Amino acid sequence: MAVTSTTGKTPFSIQQAVSKNRLMGLWRMMTGYRWYYLAAVFFLAVAALSKTEFYLVMRDFVDNVLGKARFDNTLVIYALGLFALAVTEGLASFMSGRLAAKTSESITRRLRNALFDHIQHLTFAYHAETQTGDLIQRSTSDVDALRRFYSDQAIAAARITLLFIINFSAMLTLSPKLALSSIVVVPIIVAVSAFFFKRVSKAYEAFQEQEAVLSTTLQENLTGVRVVKAFARQDFERSKFDSDNKKKYERGVNLAMMHSLFWPISDVICGAQIIIGLFVASSMTISGEITLGTYLAYSALIVWIIFPMRNLGRVIVQMSTGLVSYNRVAEILRQPQEDMDSGEIYPENGLKGEVVFDQVSFEYEPGNPVLNNVSFSCQPGQVIALLGSTGSGKTSLVNLLPRFYDATHGVIRLDGVDIKQYSRRFLRQQIGIVEQEPFLFSRSIRENITYGVTRNVTNEEVESAARAAAVHDVIQTFPDEYKTLVGEKGVTLSGGQKQRVAIARTLLKNPRILILDDSTSSVDTETEAEIRGALDALMKNRTTFIIAHRIQSIMTADLILVFDKGEIVQSGTHDTLVNQDGIYRRIYEIQTRIESELEEEMACV
Amino acid sequence: MSDYEELEEEEYKTQITGKTLFRIAAMIKPHWKWVAGFLGAIAFVSVIDSFVTYLGKRIIDEGIAARNADQVVHLLTINAGITLFQAIMVFFFIYLVAILGEKVRFDLRKMMFNHLQDLSLSYYSRKPVGWIMARVTSDSDRVADLMTWGVLDTTWAVINIITAIFFMISINWQMALVVVATIPVLVFISIKFRKRILLEYRTVRKMNSKITGSFNENITGVRVVKALNREEENLREFSQLTDQMYRSSYKAAWISALLLPTVQMVSAIALTVVILSGGKQVEFGGMTIGGIQAFISYITFMMWPVQDMARIYAEMQHAVASAERIFGLVDTVPEVQNRPDAIGIQSIKGDIVFENVDFYYEPEKPVLTHFSLSIKQGETIALVGPTGGGKTTIVNLVCRFYEPKNGRITIGGQDYLNFKLEDIQSRVGIVLQTPHLFSGTIRENIRYGRLNATDEEVEQAAHIAGAHDFILTLDKGYDQNVGESGNLLSVGQKQLISLARAVLSDPEIFIMDEATSSVDTLTESLIQKGMETIMKGRTSFVIAHRLSTIRRADKIVVVDDGGIAEIGTHNELLRKRGQYYQLYTRQFRQEKEDSYDPFAVPEPVR
Repeated sequence: MAVTSTTGKTPFSIQQAVSKNRLMGLWRMMTGYRWYYLAAVFFLAVAALSKTEFYLVMRDFVDNVLGKARFDNTLVIYALGLFALAVTEGLASFMSGRLAAKTSESITRRLRNALFDHIQHLTFAYHAETQTGDLIQRSTSDVDALRRFYSDQAIAAARITLLFIINFSAMLTLSPKLALSSIVVVPIIVAVSAFFFKRVSKAYEAFQEQEAVLSTTLQENLTGVRVVKAFARQDFERSKFDSDNKKKYERGVNLAMMHSLFWPISDVICGAQIIIGLFVASSMTISGEITLGTYLAYSALIVWIIFPMRNLGRVIVQMSTGLVSYNRVAEILRQPQEDMDSGEIYPENGLKGEVVFDQVSFEYEPGNPVLNNVSFSCQPGQVIALLGSTGSGKTSLVNLLPRFYDATHGVIRLDGVDIKQYSRRFLRQQIGIVEQEPFLFSRSIRENITYGVTRNVTNEEVESAARAAAVHDVIQTFPDEYKTLVGEKGVTLSGGQKQRVAIARTLLKNPRILILDDSTSSVDTETEAEIRGALDALMKNRTTFIIAHRIQSIMTADLILVFDKGEIVQSGTHDTLVNQDGIYRRIYEIQTRIESELEEEMACV
Repeated sequence: MSDYEELEEEEYKTQITGKTLFRIAAMIKPHWKWVAGFLGAIAFVSVIDSFVTYLGKRIIDEGIAARNADQVVHLLTINAGITLFQAIMVFFFIYLVAILGEKVRFDLRKMMFNHLQDLSLSYYSRKPVGWIMARVTSDSDRVADLMTWGVLDTTWAVINIITAIFFMISINWQMALVVVATIPVLVFISIKFRKRILLEYRTVRKMNSKITGSFNENITGVRVVKALNREEENLREFSQLTDQMYRSSYKAAWISALLLPTVQMVSAIALTVVILSGGKQVEFGGMTIGGIQAFISYITFMMWPVQDMARIYAEMQHAVASAERIFGLVDTVPEVQNRPDAIGIQSIKGDIVFENVDFYYEPEKPVLTHFSLSIKQGETIALVGPTGGGKTTIVNLVCRFYEPKNGRITIGGQDYLNFKLEDIQSRVGIVLQTPHLFSGTIRENIRYGRLNATDEEVEQAAHIAGAHDFILTLDKGYDQNVGESGNLLSVGQKQLISLARAVLSDPEIFIMDEATSSVDTLTESLIQKGMETIMKGRTSFVIAHRLSTIRRADKIVVVDDGGIAEIGTHNELLRKRGQYYQLYTRQFRQEKEDSYDPFAVPEPVR
């Protein structure tokens, strides 16, 4: 899905920015903002030029104005000229900073939005096998590393290069001999700093690793405080923390040592170059080869050539981490999205709800079928119950209806049409799901109930949905009623309450087909009755698939499918199945057996 | 994660108080030699910086302008010499300040951690883990930075400014005054800027954690998002966040980019004045070319420390607020601690009696009222009843994680407040409902129960607890890593390991909070067997959910509403047909249903 840039220019899809060549990819990611960026570099050059020009004007001033008994006007003109150059430099460096920020922040915003959207459009299969933490890491830290690449590192590299080129060219015009003798040390300082920063970044990684270890130790100690106290292991914990703490200290000292060596050594290298340069320049001045003004200009320019160079190593090392981050982000972007919209049929009044499975098979990985040759059919408004142990294929079957996955073989027909002819968007509008342990978002109860509809919903509608879901009364007891936040910062809902909120959410969405993962096992009898009532309200007039765990909830179903190892082993209504020999009857008999066992036990008391 | 960041973001408004500063100073005191060392080194460094500029002036005036090559060589030699000396000083100050920083960080973390070990459970229930973590990690960093880099930067800035002024005055005092006049303006501008930048950055951090939170929720809830077709709406909401993030970070960035040019502009005015009046004075011999050059350098170099002062001041405020929070933590007195006249004991075997115990976590909200219960040595007590009834509290009181507010608890006839805390707690073995393991191997985790246990003893404990067999199925057996907080293991496995840990500690009182769910049948029966063994001969408290555990107990206590609703043996209570009867029959049906798996076994067997 294309992300329209908020600047209103041509739509740009971030997937276009994926390239095998990382630098190419980074360049493509700048689409739409390249001119800003080039302008930022242009202003960098202006700033560097003004600085250099400032010293060249100073040179002229010293040679031609000072001490030459000229009149005030020349002096004023020079003073104002120098002031103007200083102002230009300031303005240009501000402009460059501002434009660079605009570019990098815009690119980052677009990337964040695109990643967010891309991730929510990735397939189920991808989400099932990807670690949440890793995805988040890539979407946040790596994106931030890319932001720094654009805002700091690329700009710094440009700045150092421009400073070198401009000041060196200026020096060449002053005196080629002087200029050449001033950059002897440049390759050395770049090499030393590259070497150093590479080592430092490794040492820093080790330092941070240890910091993570220390955090884990601390966190485990704090969360396990009852265990620590119960075993009276305070001293043991102290010494464990102490040794981790000491290790972090040692790695910190190691880093400190490296810094305390690099900076003075590079100071000496740069200082030596400058002193040698000054010596050559002063001898040339005394012998009349160059003027005093030239000497002054030179002594300023050389500083701007040498010292920025020792940061080049840092910039290079940091840029390489930016490239790594690019790869990590691009890996996500390369994943294909789910096709939401292509479909040939859009029934205007929605689905009626007739469902046919025609020899459907499905496998997550080739050669490992989870559904095998499943066939059945049902009329609109009927209730289909799926019964079977964990892993028998019930969940996989209902996952096929909203096309979370597509069947490997066979055809599923809704209202007589192959399901693949509907778009996924349409199907998901028509299907509602209430899960066993529903996922609620950390927003208000109201927002959770209205989560499935994009239109404006009146308070009355929300409340009547909540009433029908038998959760209105509970919500009334919360501090802010419907505005109460769900989760850590608000109320913690019990499993049953969550499920009823999810029922209200689905009621509001008003789907034609309903999928219920029915679990009332962990709630007490009273709640169970309430949920049962809420479910009955929800199922009215909808084709309903119930993933059932106990027989009471499915006795009235129109069709019961008993699953074992991906196949339907029995099907029919309760009455027919009870009269057959098979798994269903055995499950049913357990219920009666339990009651008699209980009576037996009570009799012994 | 987002919460953690928010907790770091606590209010910065704390004003610097003399008392806190005094305590910080007291913390620096033992390290005064280090501080003196790096302050000396940085003083040399900044004086030399100013002096080198002054040397540059003399090279021009006394050497080049006077056409005295010897003087140039002489001055450059001095320059080279002091550059070398300065490099040595640079080494010293970085070395001293960075290592002292690590030392202080180390000490602060240690101080807090050690104190945390003594704090009572009540403290932990008041403060979220993330909050405490932020104190130990980021606050200690901030305070250490203040005590080292903060002091160093201030000294550097002050000395730089003073020496620059000194040399400027010695070159030309009238012009020096002009430059000095700009300093207050520069400071004022910098402070204004810093405040704005900080404000924006705070928004940036807040938005950042919100963005992370959004990613997290949208990824973990992706099934719901897809099922409800929420993608477009979610993107719309998310882009509002990134828009805000964009605005704040863009603003912060360009205000930062404006600061330096503004400062430069002000100094450019000073520069112009210097060139104008200096230029004139050169005509009359009051000023030299080298002098003008030196002034230009001093003005450029002074800008840095001046605008840096604003940053240092802002950071200092944060650091002092951090220090206050750290002091708050270490000043907290543990609610539960040894009485001054507590006696050491070898054993806590004996009857345990609750006599009219009142307890509450928060006043006005009583959890236990006039609670009395007596348990004979070696008995097994099953605590049952609704959540929030007070079961966990009873167990917390037995462990003396908390102490009764009224009434008393006696062990072997003596008030247990007379005993030493560690004597009680080291003789209690506990298995929690959500078992807690530590990073490391299985062996290390079991050994936590008795640190000097041999490998054989560890394995023996695992045998008794029923954990041995499953451990052997793991790739590395006992040396298998359990992951952070044991996350690589299932809940049932974690419970088996913590059972083995309790077995190894050979406790006199055993406490078990049974898991309610997510344990498969096989593991469940292993846990049952392990419990049975360990409870033999030990006074045991079980917060029970399984019927088999409940039936096995010598006494069943139904706890509800802060008191005992029913008490007695299984049979006695069933005959009553009261609360226990209700609870039992419901549980009976559920367990039976769960245990019959018609798909796994052809004919259900008991």
